Parts: sequence; structure tokens; C-alpha cells
Amino acid sequence: MDWTPLILSAKLAFWTMLLIPVVASPLASLLAFGRFRGKSLLDAVITLPMVMPPTVLGFALLVVMGPRGFMGGLWEDLTGNRLVFSFAGILMASLVFNLPFAVQPLRASLEKLDPRLLESAAVLGLSPLSAFFRIVLPNCLGGLAAASILVFAHSLGEFGVILMVGGSIPGQTQVASVAIFEAVEALRFDDAFRMSAALIPVCFVVLLIINKINARRS
Amino acid sequence: MKRICSLVLALCLLVPSGASAADLLIAQAANFTPVMKEIIPAFEKATGLTAQATYASTGKLYGQIVNDAPFDIFLAADEKRPNKLHADGLAEKPFIYAMGQVVLWSADKGFCGEDWKATVLSPAVKRVAVANTETAPYGTSAMKAMQKVGVWDKVQPKLVFGQSISQTFQFASTGSADVGFCAYSSVFTDEGRKGCFVVVDQAPPVIQAACVLKSASHPDAAAKFVEFLSSPEVQAMKLKYGYK
Repeated sequence: MDWTPLILSAKLAFWTMLLIPVVASPLASLLAFGRFRGKSLLDAVITLPMVMPPTVLGFALLVVMGPRGFMGGLWEDLTGNRLVFSFAGILMASLVFNLPFAVQPLRASLEKLDPRLLESAAVLGLSPLSAFFRIVLPNCLGGLAAASILVFAHSLGEFGVILMVGGSIPGQTQVASVAIFEAVEALRFDDAFRMSAALIPVCFVVLLIINKINARRS
Repeated sequence: MKRICSLVLALCLLVPSGASAADLLIAQAANFTPVMKEIIPAFEKATGLTAQATYASTGKLYGQIVNDAPFDIFLAADEKRPNKLHADGLAEKPFIYAMGQVVLWSADKGFCGEDWKATVLSPAVKRVAVANTETAPYGTSAMKAMQKVGVWDKVQPKLVFGQSISQTFQFASTGSADVGFCAYSSVFTDEGRKGCFVVVDQAPPVIQAACVLKSASHPDAAAKFVEFLSSPEVQAMKLKYGYK
């Protein structure tokens, strides 16, 4: 059996999980602590990928990330490579559609944070940076872990968006879900079954490991 | 207010049940959709029967049929699936109802030179879209053409694969791929007219076969429809949309 699609899926899920806090944390804190006009508007925009059909989101991304779209054009000017149909492209798409799944749990854990803790820290002379590392981060680890689990699992199984912007190139954008779909379409049911059967324990083990880490932390 | 609400609700419940009572249920491969949308009214006018088509990929329709979907006739985009249904005793003998042609289409009018081999090999063309060479008949045909003229190995690193011929066209029409091996029929769509194309002569014609299902609950209507498909009226419609 060809393991490439499964490894590629794991790679995509791993990188998404690693990079998403960078995008999601500022947005989550903005939504949790910020007081500004249009906050509910921002909230809705971030949550949009969760509600939109994956094909609609995928088509929108195909247009924006294509060489004539603003993201794709910028990327091509900077790197000389095309953004769609590349691993960087599906990773970017994966970050977009996973955003609400990371922002929501992070925001919830930030909102639960007792403001008096931060106030006492400020009174005791802690700089905002060390207050973040010594108070905010340890208190939000649960939310961060919940976000990671969701994002990892979600990108491991994502199909519609990647199908639209990936172009199914073996070893680059042909992830497990796409490979399984193609095997079914080609009536290669044995291949589809083997890949699906391999995917289930992989997901299961990943979840077990993450749960174990969580249990130890708390 | 309450009365209006209940009236609307009653209408909602009534409408779909009225619409599904057709005399003929057609499972149609999606690439032939524009032609079928013209064939059905003509057929209804000629025979007085009503027909209703479901449009999906050949593979999906095949999957539905093996699982007892209530269709009368299956019009596929290939020969493989109808032949398989026939071999498995689920359908009557298949027949050819249309033939498609592969073209190289581009949104950029600079990429439609007479020599399509030179175009796909040109360094200016970074990405070439083609339909899945295993499942989509247009993909298989395009692959054979590239193999025949000896460019397959060289083009391979540039290839991106659409799941269907319509997705392949989408890749080309959004400019995400510079050129795409598309169906001649897509040239006749609104989006298709915005670009340019060159016919790939070396690509074998894409044979589309159909079969009447043994489980058909309207076999007489299906027989009439099969007859209607070979009428000069339908021939003209097929030509208009790029089929033979």
C-alpha cells in the first residue's frame, strides 16, 4: 500500500496545529478582551469558514490564491512559485478553515480568566510580557490543548477545501481523504478500505497521546 | 398570520411530492447536463410523458444504482460503468449515445497556438490541468494523446488533477492552471467563450454509453427515450454543444 497520502495528511495536520496559535491567539484575545465597534462583525467573519460549505470556501480560496488573485499574486511575486496546487497552498487553506475551531476554545478560556489575577500581577510589578507567560499562558493551557486536538483532528479529515485548491498531486497535495475518494471512484475498494483502516488507528493514537498530555498537565 | 403560516407549510409539503411523480427517471453524467436540459423538454413535447434527470458524476450514479436507486435509464460519461452493470445483470445491453472530444483550453489567449505540444512544454506554462486519468474518461483520453506524441513524461511535473472534467475546467478558467485539457463541450459555456482552445486531434474520442436498467419501473417510457435519443432533433442538439 502507498503510505504517501497518509504521511502527507499527518504532515498537514501537524503544521496546521503548530502554526494556528500564531494566527488564532491574537484574534482570540481581541475577541475576549477587546471593546470596539464591529466586534460581532469580526466574530462572524472568523466563524464563517465553520458554516460555509467546504466547496464554497474552496472555490473562494481558489480564486483568491490563484495567480490572478491577490494572495496568489503576492506569493508569486515574493517566491516565484505558484501558491495553489502546492503544499504551502493547502497549508494556508487549512489554516483558514481551521481558524474558528482554534479561536472559539481559546477565546472561551481567555474569558474565564479572572481579571483580578492580571490586576494583582500588575500591582506586584510584573511586566505585561511576563504576566502573559506566567499567568495567561498557564491558565489557558486547557483551551490551547482543546484547540490543538480539534484542529489536528479536523485537518486530518478535511476533504472539500483541499480538493478544490490542491489539484491532487501525489506527494504534494494528494492527502489521505482525497486519495480514498479517488480509490472509491476508481472502484478500487480494497485500496480505499486499507487506507481508511490505517487512518482510524492513527487518529485514535493521536487523540490518546494528546489526552494523556492533558491529563498530566491538569 | 397563523393561517398564512400553515398555508405556506402545506404548500412546502405538497410541492416536492408533486414534482417527483415523473414518468421517467434519468441518471445523467454531469458533463452532458446542458444537452439533457434541452432534450428533456423536447422529449416531453414529442411524447407527452414527463421526465426528470439527476445530474452527478458517473461514479456516484453507478454507486447509487448498485444500491437500488430508482432510475430507469443511466447515461454515463464512459463505457466502463454501463458495461459493468450489464455484466452484473443489472442493465440491458449498453449503447453509445454521444462522443466527446478533448481540447486544450486556456483563459490566456496567448496559449492557443496550433501546436498544443509546444504549448504544454513551454516554460511559460507552469501548471497544466487534466482530469483524473484513472476515473475521468476525458483524463484518460488526454493522457493517451500526450503519450502518443511523447510529451507525457515531460509534462508530468506540471500536471494538476481535477476530480472531474468540470473541476479541470474550473482550474483553467480561474487561471490557477495556465492551460487545461478540457471537454470540447465546455467551450460552449459562457465561461468557456471567454478563453481560447485548440482541438487535441491525437486524443481518442470519449465514448459515452447508456443503458436501460433491469430494475426500471417505467420500461416503456425508457424505450421511447432511447428511440428519441437517435432522432435528428437530438443529433442537432448534441452538435450544438460539442458532441458527436
